Amino acid sequence: MAMQDNAADEWGAGLKDMAVRAMSAAGSAIGQLASGLGTALLALLVLVWLGVTAVTSLVGVGLLMVPAALSALHALAGRERARLARHGSEVFAPDPPPTRLRLALADSTTRRELRWVVRHATLGLLLGLLGVLLPVVAVRDTAFPLFWMLLPEDPTATSIGLGTATSWPDAFAATLLGVGWIAIILGLTPGMARLQAQPGRLFLAAGPDTDLSLRVAELTATRAAALDAHATELRRIERSLHDGTQNRLVTVTVLLGAARRQVARDPAGADELLERAQSAAEQALAELRTVSRSILPPVLADRGLAGALSGLAAECAVPCRTDVEAPERCAASVEATAYFVVAEALTNIAKHSGAGQAAVTVRARGGRLHLRIEDDGRGGAGGTSQAMGTGGEDGGSGLTGIRRRVAAHDGTLRVTSPPGGPTTLEVDLPCGS
Amino acid sequence: MDRDLRIVIAEDDPLLREGLALLLRAEGLDVVATAGTPDGILDAIDAHKPDVAILDVRMPPTHTDEGVRAAVEARRRRPDLAVLVLSAYVEQSFATDLLTGGVNGLGYLLKERVGRVEEFLDALHRVASGGTAIDPEVVAQLFTRSHQDIRLERLSPRERDVLALMAEGLGNGAIAQRLVVTDGAVHKHIRSIFAKLDLSPADQVDRRVAAVLRYLEDARRRA
Repeated sequence: MAMQDNAADEWGAGLKDMAVRAMSAAGSAIGQLASGLGTALLALLVLVWLGVTAVTSLVGVGLLMVPAALSALHALAGRERARLARHGSEVFAPDPPPTRLRLALADSTTRRELRWVVRHATLGLLLGLLGVLLPVVAVRDTAFPLFWMLLPEDPTATSIGLGTATSWPDAFAATLLGVGWIAIILGLTPGMARLQAQPGRLFLAAGPDTDLSLRVAELTATRAAALDAHATELRRIERSLHDGTQNRLVTVTVLLGAARRQVARDPAGADELLERAQSAAEQALAELRTVSRSILPPVLADRGLAGALSGLAAECAVPCRTDVEAPERCAASVEATAYFVVAEALTNIAKHSGAGQAAVTVRARGGRLHLRIEDDGRGGAGGTSQAMGTGGEDGGSGLTGIRRRVAAHDGTLRVTSPPGGPTTLEVDLPCGS
Repeated sequence: MDRDLRIVIAEDDPLLREGLALLLRAEGLDVVATAGTPDGILDAIDAHKPDVAILDVRMPPTHTDEGVRAAVEARRRRPDLAVLVLSAYVEQSFATDLLTGGVNGLGYLLKERVGRVEEFLDALHRVASGGTAIDPEVVAQLFTRSHQDIRLERLSPRERDVLALMAEGLGNGAIAQRLVVTDGAVHKHIRSIFAKLDLSPADQVDRRVAAVLRYLEDARRRA
């Protein structure tokens, strides 16, 4: 008996597991279909525009519209690549395609994008609409018995327009249809989402005849930047040890040596030297602490990113709120970078912004760590809306340091700081392994 | 010993610069100028005509070997200037860069030796009067690096100690004191060293320097 119970329990647990998996798969599929519907609607617009351009080009007028229409096509293709990358593996973009008619006609990327836009504006649109409508009708039909009495006389019972409900059994029959919809959603939507994404994955990725030299160059550059940043970092540590800490300790020995000689001559005068030696030793300790903290803040290991950041916020001269949702730990170097970015940003805010308050928001999602540091200060920090630029001399070394550290991890930095404020710093880092 | 040595100090760390000046002045030495940059110290040397220049190796702008280059430049301008270079760590190439221009009136010491005031003043005066002062650490590195040198292997441990102190720039009397032996014993060791290192008995001073330089040259070849 007991064994049977166990088997039944296991069976039940397995079923529950399966149901949960199917539901979450269907949920993400519906989200994907809905987001696909967005780009499909845009694809329809672009397709119509391209059609109009093509037709009017026959009489010459449309030729003027060609570059703009092609730009729209490329922009939309880029958007779709980003969308597909969010829902699955990355779609590697080919080199930027041309927008001039003669070049575009011969360009394989443009031709592939055209083939995609036709499919996405039709099949993709249809699948997207179904993906949005199915949950709506499923809810409507399943819940029909709850509200059918409130409907006017002779109501249509089902969302597909067939049958009328005049009695409770009729109403519950509609519910059966709703359950059918749910079954269809659970069974078919993942496949529909794959089908909707397929043309994009097929046509928008770099074709076998396009080369990935741009992507390779980009990766090479970020890799070189990472190595560079590490070398810079090591040099910085070495220098602060040698020129800071070590010099303090040498000063201690020099002053102690002087003090010993002084004791032999006039013991009373030695006290001042000892006092100076002691304060130099204290400075050496303080510098050592700063250096070791700058390598890897111990607080990160002890209290995690959330604890470390709230510690920083508490030390900040400007009242600062932190909101950290990072359930998974990132690579230590990434967390350290996040910590330094926030520390540097808060120092900048306290020194330069004149802000009344600041806020730090951290989210870890999908293998990315996103930081957002805001203040209500006077703005004008290091130019506006630079993503990974080189400028920002007036923004001081703080922003430059942040930019360097972020670039080392292949992350992005966006600074929005119009004159008059407010200033927002957004940093996006890959979590690393 | 000349108690009226005129000294200039180049050290970019203000606290240490001040500490050095304080120490030397307390010892009755005349610190005529201090500077924090290579250019500053070269100007000060031109302006004050000091007897000795004490130079930190790492100075702005690049914090690498500015002090060594300033020392070489200062000696080019005034070959009779005694130069004592202070370094945070031992770097063989710095030592050889300095010493290839001649070893007279040259010193290369680790910074912390300054705290051993008596020995430091000793080295300072030795350099000021045309002698040499090489840090024991530099010498020790030379010995470990040139360990495969067959000629070196011929030396007995005691002879190696004597050569190490010679390389620091100590005279026979001082070596005898350090090793707690008689002057005669030191003489005997030195003669033996010269013989084992194939140094012909020409000028005594030259042979001392040659023995030390042989290691420097050897170390540079290996580096």
